[in-house]
Amino acid sequence: MMVLERWLIELLLTFVARDEINAFLRSPQNTATIIGCLIAVSGALLGTFLLLRGMALTSDAISHTVLLGIVVAFLLMTDVFGMAGDTSSPWLILGASLAGVGTVVLTELLYRSGLLRQDAALGLAFPLLFAIAVILVSRFAEDVHLDEDAVLVGEIGLAWANTNSHCFENCATVTINPDHPQAKMTRQCRNCRELGISPRDDGAEFVEICSNCGSYSPAQAWQAGYLQKEPLLVFFPKSITVTLIMTVLSLLFVLVFYKELKLTTFDAALAKALGFRPGVMNYALMILVSLVAVGAFDAVGSILVIAFFIIPPAAAYLLSDRLAIMLLLGPLIGAVGAFFGYDLARGKFFGIIEVGAVIAGLNRISGLDLLEEWDSSISASMVLMIFAIFLLAWVLSPRYGLISTLIRRANQSRRFDDQVVLAHIHNHQFTDRHLTELRVKTLHIHFRWTARKTGRVLARLRALGLVAVVDGFAELTARGETQVHAFRNAMFEARNIPDID
Amino acid sequence: MNDRAPLALSVEDLTVAYHSKPAIWDIDLGVPEGVLMAIVGPNGAGKSTLIKAVLNLIPRAAGTVSFYGSPYEQARSLVGYVPQRGSVDWDFPTSVLDVVTMGLYGKLGWLRRPRRKERDLALFALEQVGLLDLVDRQISQLSGGQQQRTFLARALVQDAQIYFMDEPFAAVDAITERAIVKILHQLKERGKTVLVVHHDLQTVEDYFDWVTLLNVEVVASGPAAEVFTPENLQKTYGGRVSYLHDGQVLAAGD
Repeated sequence: MMVLERWLIELLLTFVARDEINAFLRSPQNTATIIGCLIAVSGALLGTFLLLRGMALTSDAISHTVLLGIVVAFLLMTDVFGMAGDTSSPWLILGASLAGVGTVVLTELLYRSGLLRQDAALGLAFPLLFAIAVILVSRFAEDVHLDEDAVLVGEIGLAWANTNSHCFENCATVTINPDHPQAKMTRQCRNCRELGISPRDDGAEFVEICSNCGSYSPAQAWQAGYLQKEPLLVFFPKSITVTLIMTVLSLLFVLVFYKELKLTTFDAALAKALGFRPGVMNYALMILVSLVAVGAFDAVGSILVIAFFIIPPAAAYLLSDRLAIMLLLGPLIGAVGAFFGYDLARGKFFGIIEVGAVIAGLNRISGLDLLEEWDSSISASMVLMIFAIFLLAWVLSPRYGLISTLIRRANQSRRFDDQVVLAHIHNHQFTDRHLTELRVKTLHIHFRWTARKTGRVLARLRALGLVAVVDGFAELTARGETQVHAFRNAMFEARNIPDID
Repeated sequence: MNDRAPLALSVEDLTVAYHSKPAIWDIDLGVPEGVLMAIVGPNGAGKSTLIKAVLNLIPRAAGTVSFYGSPYEQARSLVGYVPQRGSVDWDFPTSVLDVVTMGLYGKLGWLRRPRRKERDLALFALEQVGLLDLVDRQISQLSGGQQQRTFLARALVQDAQIYFMDEPFAAVDAITERAIVKILHQLKERGKTVLVVHHDLQTVEDYFDWVTLLNVEVVASGPAAEVFTPENLQKTYGGRVSYLHDGQVLAAGD
């Protein structure tokens, strides 16, 4: 991970100065936005396939049970192997992805028993694993940073502070030993406690102790004042590295296995018959979902991450009917939502509307006394913004949106009304019953419509020049006659698809 | 039958069980090359199960299957499969051409992408089933018959030797039905073997020259003229003669 970070920073250093990188990454906003966007991109890429496989809830299950993996790996690291606990350690990531896959396996086992339905199996498996994780956290890991808040919504706003330092110039690592001129030597009583005497008493024996001996990384050495020349340091937030790796992995997975993912998602039986391994693809997808969920855990917690998996693809699904375009739109929607989500958390809606001002206005109007200062959870605000974009797509999507569907239905029903009246006139004019059937005043009775509706349809048809009213009787014009023939033919042709020859 | 004619498909002692209840029981079946075979039987007779087990899509409890003498793993490229139309999500965001191209994925293998050549093959198959006007259509906008023909084109593009079709005639319009029959006969003329799960007893003899009557076990299998008799149908369908149209079946027995 360090190697990767260093390589990345070196790449950046060819474009921008070191101070600029540090200043940029030290801003909570920049770091949070980058992490949010990376989670959104990786989540949406994988989420597209979850959604199309009808496995949206699996991301829910996995994101919860990775907690178990994290906790177990954490406890193993600290208590069994005596390592330092660090939530971005590769061991935790490994543990978490195992737990994620474990959820899927457990669900499959329960489902395969034939005694439970798929949804029930899932609903049973993940709370179980989550509950075990919660008990482990509260029993054994109370003092670590795995607190409930972090589990719920993460700490994306603090991600900037948790960094690795990389040194690029004047990189002296300092080792202080007792001979070093800056070594701080103190005398300590060796046997005071044993004998219950004070250091001033006779018989006290002293040893020389070095209080600051040890090796210092360049960053630590500079901070402690052991270096003459300031080392050129870059501080890189760990969460960016983790989420970046997850994003690159997800992207590679989708790019390399695009064809296989598409086939196994659309038609697993054919995929199997053609010699692909739908089961393997499924588990690979689940492993990656687990990895992204654990990578995102620090930043957005284990619940909100589901939104990054599901909402952007759901919006993209409304906007496109091509998988490739969905895979472009989903990450874009997620990233835009994450970007503006930070603003929302700080009280700005799309950078235009001040939430504080809106609340102040509300207070004035309603006499309520709501807090005008708006400073809320960043990850939750990102999810809200992503949902806002989904809402826009849901209402405005040109083909599947609410508005276009309503318009289409209204048009269809209007056209249908027209056709009912036209066909009625067509069927009855020039018959002996036309006197009763086609009298304009009583026309509505035959359709069981209101007189108003009939009048409206008739007026429209007359305006279009399809129907004429002569002596109080409706009749088709020449154009109306053509129209009737046209839609009758179209109706019959709809059932006939081009023949094969 | 001439014993030396090569068997396109040979099934021996095949049993498949769901929860230890046999869905098909000790099936022995030899299908000679170049026949159009209907698999006929009542609901729950295991027709789809037979096809799926033959293609290794579901685990077999017992038995062996070979295609031209080889097990399925080695004969994959010889086999084309048309699943039931309802087995996939037709709201999947993809186009008709894309679905047909999927038939070529097996030949492409892992990681290789379809290119111009695959596109042309898919277009040619779509032309054969009369869907050339709809290649860029989103698949949810197809009628049932058009969906079935898309599946058929996807199987054609595989250029297999032996085809398995699971109820291709289910709920399709008359024109699609004729189109499918025509393609079945073209396949036969090209020496392909086709096995079709079929429901409509009235059309069995018109469409197919070989019949397997199945009800968990094989009741009879062979040339339609010999096998498709009222006695065999009675054995297959038991008391449920309402399936039969007397005139039709009796005429067949004459």
